[in-house]
Amino acid sequence: MITAGIDGGSRAVKAVLWDAATQRVLARAVRDSMPDAAAVATACLAEACATAGVARTDVVRLAATGYARAVIPGADRRITEITCHARGVARLMPAARAVVEVGGQDSKVIRLEPGGRVVDFAMNDRCAAGTGRFLEVIAERLGCGLAGYGALAAASADPAAISSMCVVFAESEIVGLMAQGRRREDLAAGILTAVAARVAALAGRELLGPIACTGGVALIPGFAAALSAVLGTAVEVPEAPQFTGALGAAILAA
Amino acid sequence: MIAGVPLTHPAAAALRPWLDDGNLRLADLRFDPDPACIALWDFVLSEERRLRAVRAAGGFIVGAMKDLGTVPVLVRAIPGAVAFYPDGAWWLPCLQRHAGGQLAAADRLGIGEVFCPVRALLGCYALDSDFPKPDLDICAVGATCDDFSAVAQRLAGLGRDILWWELPAFREADPDEETVALPDGEHAPLALVRAVERELARLRDAIGRAAGTVITDAMLLQSVAEAEGVRAQVRGIRRLVLGAPAAPLPAVELLLVEILALHFCSDLPRCREILAAIEAVVRARVAADVGVLPPDAVRVLWMNPVADLRVLQWLEELGGRLGGTDFMTAQAMAPIPLDLPPLAALARTALCDHMLGGDRRRAVLAVAEAGAVAGAVVARIPGASHGCAEGPALVQAIAAAGARWPVAGIEVPTLADSDAGQIRGRLEALLETAQARRTVPS
Repeated sequence: MITAGIDGGSRAVKAVLWDAATQRVLARAVRDSMPDAAAVATACLAEACATAGVARTDVVRLAATGYARAVIPGADRRITEITCHARGVARLMPAARAVVEVGGQDSKVIRLEPGGRVVDFAMNDRCAAGTGRFLEVIAERLGCGLAGYGALAAASADPAAISSMCVVFAESEIVGLMAQGRRREDLAAGILTAVAARVAALAGRELLGPIACTGGVALIPGFAAALSAVLGTAVEVPEAPQFTGALGAAILAA
Repeated sequence: MIAGVPLTHPAAAALRPWLDDGNLRLADLRFDPDPACIALWDFVLSEERRLRAVRAAGGFIVGAMKDLGTVPVLVRAIPGAVAFYPDGAWWLPCLQRHAGGQLAAADRLGIGEVFCPVRALLGCYALDSDFPKPDLDICAVGATCDDFSAVAQRLAGLGRDILWWELPAFREADPDEETVALPDGEHAPLALVRAVERELARLRDAIGRAAGTVITDAMLLQSVAEAEGVRAQVRGIRRLVLGAPAAPLPAVELLLVEILALHFCSDLPRCREILAAIEAVVRARVAADVGVLPPDAVRVLWMNPVADLRVLQWLEELGGRLGGTDFMTAQAMAPIPLDLPPLAALARTALCDHMLGGDRRRAVLAVAEAGAVAGAVVARIPGASHGCAEGPALVQAIAAAGARWPVAGIEVPTLADSDAGQIRGRLEALLETAQARRTVPS
C-alpha cells in the first residue's frame, strides 16, 4: 500500500511517498510555500508521484500536517506536526528520546518515550526568534543566503556576541557590528549559537539523548553542532531532516 | 448534547444589544443557550450600567485593584457602597475588538504593549469610559503583579489619590515560628497573617472615613457571611462542572462564574440569583447526563485566564474540555472562615493568593488529580508579569513533579485572530498527545 504525507510548512511544502509493505520511502518532493497552499501541495504530491513512477491514484491514503494541513486537498487524516515529527523520527532514529525541530516559522522541542510516543512538547513564542525565518533574514543581510550560511559560520575564529534575538533588532545590530568592522563569519557564527541557545531554552530542563535535529534549519552545516554544544548532549541529524514531518504523516496515514 | 449558539440565534437575542453597545467580540463567540447562561452573560456585561446607576443615586463606589476578592468584602459592609475591579478592563480590548481605544490611550500615557493588557484600565480613566471614576481607588502592592504596580503608579501620576496597601510575599514559617492554617490547606506564619490583618484594619478605617461611616465588626461579619455564600455557590458549581462525565457548562461560562466570586458584579443579591439559576441548570444536566460537549472530550487543566475569550472555545471546538481550572483567582473561592473575627478570616483567604507565593504547583496538581485531567494548558498574557510570567517555569515545574500528562504553554494576546493558527495548532497537538497517551504505544 502506498501512502503519502504532506507537510504544509510556512516556508516549504514537503511530500513523502511511503510504501507501507516494504517500509521504505519511495520519493520526496519539496516546493516553496505560496499563498495557494492547496495548489502547491497538489503539485508537490504530483512531483513525488512522478519521481516514484506511480500514479496519484496508486496513493491509497494521504495524511496532511503542518500549518496548511487544513487546506491540503484529499487528506484522509490531518495530524499536527508534533505527532508527525515524533513518528518520523521514531522511524529514522528509533533510539531518539527528543526531537528539536526548527522550521521556517516555529521551533519545537518534543520529548519522546522509548518507542517514540510523545511525552511532552514545547514551542517558541509568537516571534521569529529562533526560527528558520530569523536565519533567512540574517543570511540575506550577511549576503550569503541560507545555502552558504553554514560555510560562512564555519570560517569564524571569534563568534560575535549577539544580544538581540528580535529579528528586527538583530538585523540592526548586525548592521552596526558590520559598520564596526566585525567579520561576517563571526556574525554568522554568533547568530547560529544564539539561535541554538534560544531553541535549547525551550526545553527548559535537561533533555535525554539521543536528540534528533530536524526541520529545514537542520540542513545548515554547523547548526546541530551548535545545538549539541548548548545542550551538552549529542545531537544527530537524521536522513532528510526537512521531510521528517511528511514522513511521519505518510506512516500515520497507513 | 446541547450545542452552543451564536449571537444571531434567538436564544441569545437578549445579548444582541451588547453587541450594538460596542462589544463586537460577542459576534465571534458561542453561547450556552440556556436562559440562565444568557442571564449570566447579561449580568457580567451590564456592570457599567449598574455602577453608573449607583453613581446617579449618590452611592459610594470603590475601585479595588489587584487584590482580587478581599477589598469588595470590606466595602460591601457599608450599606449602599459597591466595589468593582478596574482591573476587569483588561477584557475590554478583546470584547470591544480594540474599538474602545483604551489601549491606545494607555500607549499615549507611556504604558505600552510591554505591559499587561490590564493597562486598559488606565485608558478607561483617561477617556472616562467604561466605568464611572470611583470615589476611592484602592490598590494592593507588594507581592502582586509588578507591571500592574507600574500601571497604578501612572494612574496616581495622573492625579488619582490611590490608597495603597501591602500584600506581602508568602513565605514558609521558620522552624520556631507559630503558624496558622489557611483555608486552602497551606500554613502561613502567624506574623504574616497578622501583618495582613493590620493592613486590612487600616483599609477598613480608611474606607469608612471616605464613606463617612464607621465599619463595625458586626457589619463586617455580615458582609463576610454573604461573600462566603457567593463563594460556596461558585465552589459548588465548579465542582459539579469539573467533575461531571459530560461537561455541563462551557468553559467561558465557567470562567464567568468563577469571576463572580471576586466582586459579585457589584450586586450581590442578583449575583446569588444568577448563580442559583446556573447551579440548577448544571445539576439538571448532570442528573440527565447531558453535556455541552462530546462525552469523550479530553479533560484539560487550564491555568491562567486568557486575554481573548475565544481561545477557551477553541479548546472545546478541537475536542477538549475543562477538567480543572486555576484562573489565578483561586483565592476568591477559598472558604472564608466564619468562626473567626472578620479581618482575621479575610487575611487568611487573602494569603491563599498564589500570586503572593506559596506552592502553586502543588495546588494545580491537586486540581489536576481531582479532575482526572489528561493534559494541561498554561496560558500566558503578553506583557504580564509575575504570576503569568511564571508560565514556562510552571510548565517545567509541573513536568518535573512527575505529571503524567502533557503540558502546553500558549501566549494569548487580546485579540488572537492573527495567532489562531499557531494557538489552535498547539491546543490540537496537546489534545492529540493526550489522546495518544490514553492508547497503547505506537
